[in-house]
Amino acid sequence: MIQVENLQHTFLIGKRGKEKQVPVLKGVNFEVNKGEIVAIVGKSGSGKSTLLQVLAGFMKAEQGSIKVNGKETAHLTETESAAFRLRQFGFIFQNFQLMPGLTAFENIELPLKLQGLRKAMRKEKVKKLMDKVGLTEVADHYPNELSGGQQQRVSIARALITNPPILLADEPTGSLDSETEQDILLLIQSLNRELGLTFVIITHDEEVATIAHRRFRMYDGELVKEEA
Amino acid sequence: MLFKDQLDFVTQHIKKNKLRVFMTILAATMGCAFLIVLASVGFGLQESLRNEILSNETVTKIQVYGDKQLTEEQVQEIKKMEHVETVLETISVNASAQSFFEDRDTTSNLILSDMQDFEQVNGKLAKGRYPTKSNEIVVGYHFAQTLLNDTERDVIAEKSKKAEAEGTYYDGSEEGYKESLLGKNIDLSLVPHTGTNDETQKMSYTIVGVMEKPSYDWMVDNAIHMDKEQKAVLAENLSTDSNMAEDELFYSEFNIYADTLENVKPILEKLKDKGYSVFSVTEQLEQMNVFFLVLKIGLIFVGTIAVLIASIGIFNTMTMAVTERTREIGVLKAIGASPKLIQRLFLMESTFIGIFGTLIAVVISYAISFAANAALPLILKAATGEEAFATNDITFSLIPWQLVIIAAAISVGVAMISGYRPARKATKIDVIQALRQEL
Repeated sequence: MIQVENLQHTFLIGKRGKEKQVPVLKGVNFEVNKGEIVAIVGKSGSGKSTLLQVLAGFMKAEQGSIKVNGKETAHLTETESAAFRLRQFGFIFQNFQLMPGLTAFENIELPLKLQGLRKAMRKEKVKKLMDKVGLTEVADHYPNELSGGQQQRVSIARALITNPPILLADEPTGSLDSETEQDILLLIQSLNRELGLTFVIITHDEEVATIAHRRFRMYDGELVKEEA
Repeated sequence: MLFKDQLDFVTQHIKKNKLRVFMTILAATMGCAFLIVLASVGFGLQESLRNEILSNETVTKIQVYGDKQLTEEQVQEIKKMEHVETVLETISVNASAQSFFEDRDTTSNLILSDMQDFEQVNGKLAKGRYPTKSNEIVVGYHFAQTLLNDTERDVIAEKSKKAEAEGTYYDGSEEGYKESLLGKNIDLSLVPHTGTNDETQKMSYTIVGVMEKPSYDWMVDNAIHMDKEQKAVLAENLSTDSNMAEDELFYSEFNIYADTLENVKPILEKLKDKGYSVFSVTEQLEQMNVFFLVLKIGLIFVGTIAVLIASIGIFNTMTMAVTERTREIGVLKAIGASPKLIQRLFLMESTFIGIFGTLIAVVISYAISFAANAALPLILKAATGEEAFATNDITFSLIPWQLVIIAAAISVGVAMISGYRPARKATKIDVIQALRQEL
């Protein structure tokens, strides 16, 4: 499903003219199979977030290849990359990243709007999904009226609404207490089991990594496979 | 994203920042209204002058000037030209006409012309008909008013004196012959302009028509029009009393009339090619139009500066909007909104400000224009005491639809341009940086 080969990237840090080169990805190789939960674990500064950003197309790596469902995505233009994300990826962020001015329902509806779906169809789809993830009662609530767990559920529902084959999660439980963290991990597991969705989870939390089928550890820009 | 959803997105953000957007719209409105009102003065003055020229002269008239008079053959040749309706020869008599009626008398100009041509050119009379017989005449609108007896002359002199003391002017409209003059006979004698003051023998004429009121209030028309057949009779009468030769007694003026305004120019050019000295009021209009075109462009240019100043407000508002929504833009980009869509959403917002500002500005401008046209004459009259300002002859401000289109294009165009940079900035927002922003 995802093949990453020899991904390399260097950051320039410091004042202009006196920049230091800091290699952040040093030839990363890995593969994600369909229906898998893959965890990429690492300490802060290990380069795991950069890997996710390159994977998602938010930034371009200097070298290497990324193939998603056989399509090379490392060299897409910004517009092509946006269209690709809309079809192929769902995103779950650490800080939920919900639109504060939109209700839970409208937040989940947003990707469908971007896809240009008509209102009636959007309404039907969102309602169905909200039922499934247990959000029906808070449909008209704004993000600041929701608990952390509810906000992350809304965020997951927003990621799922376009039926993407791959979900990319960046510290999905980073802002949650341990009880809510368990709820969210269970939800991810059940979505993986029932819908066959592929998850790539970036985390520093070993607990989160326990739900993964395969685990990779990021050390100073290099990725090492770990036994589950 | 559907267009309706894009509109929803934009209106939602506008509602969130009502006051700021309102203030920006206000600035755009003021700029655009200033542009329209300023330019409307140019349009208004042009219209006033145009009306002034057109009401004074017949627009289809082409004057023949110069010392050389047209010969009969030349007149016939011109008459045969395409689109020439008629050539009117107007003969002025080098003498004052003294008219006597009952105990009243008046002095006026005597004008001779072919009555058929005269009727064709002049059109409707205020009263009566055009002469068909040799002793019939048509008199000017004010002829009856100027027919005075000695008592009335004294009254007018007294009233004028009184008016003068008050600083005004008395036009004598309350005196004169009040009954209809149609069918009445007057006695006419001529006093040549030779300084001898020798009157000719009296001739009797019947008034059969009265001319229309002149287009200006201040004009007094008490002229006598008769058929040019009478030239011989008058000449004979005059030459016995004075020693003037016939060509000194009469002066002919030729006016060519085109069938429509559009055909004046081609006829004019043809006649000029043939060596005639001709002039039409339309030439004057053309020169005036060029002048006003330059003036209007200048005024629109000055007005555009106001719009440009307002555009700084739009630029600020949009830059603020983009900065404030950096995180939202980042999320939108992350979940798959294309840079083009984001640019369009912000451009729509600045365009909305431009369109809304323009709409309000148009309404306000019409109101100001209407108020200026209604109030300025009164203010000027109060300030100067001139009655002329109180009439509605002067248009101070005129907003034709072309001006609205030009102003709207400038205003909305400038709004879009000033929103372009912030919109571009929005598309360049770095997703990673944006998502890291504090909530």
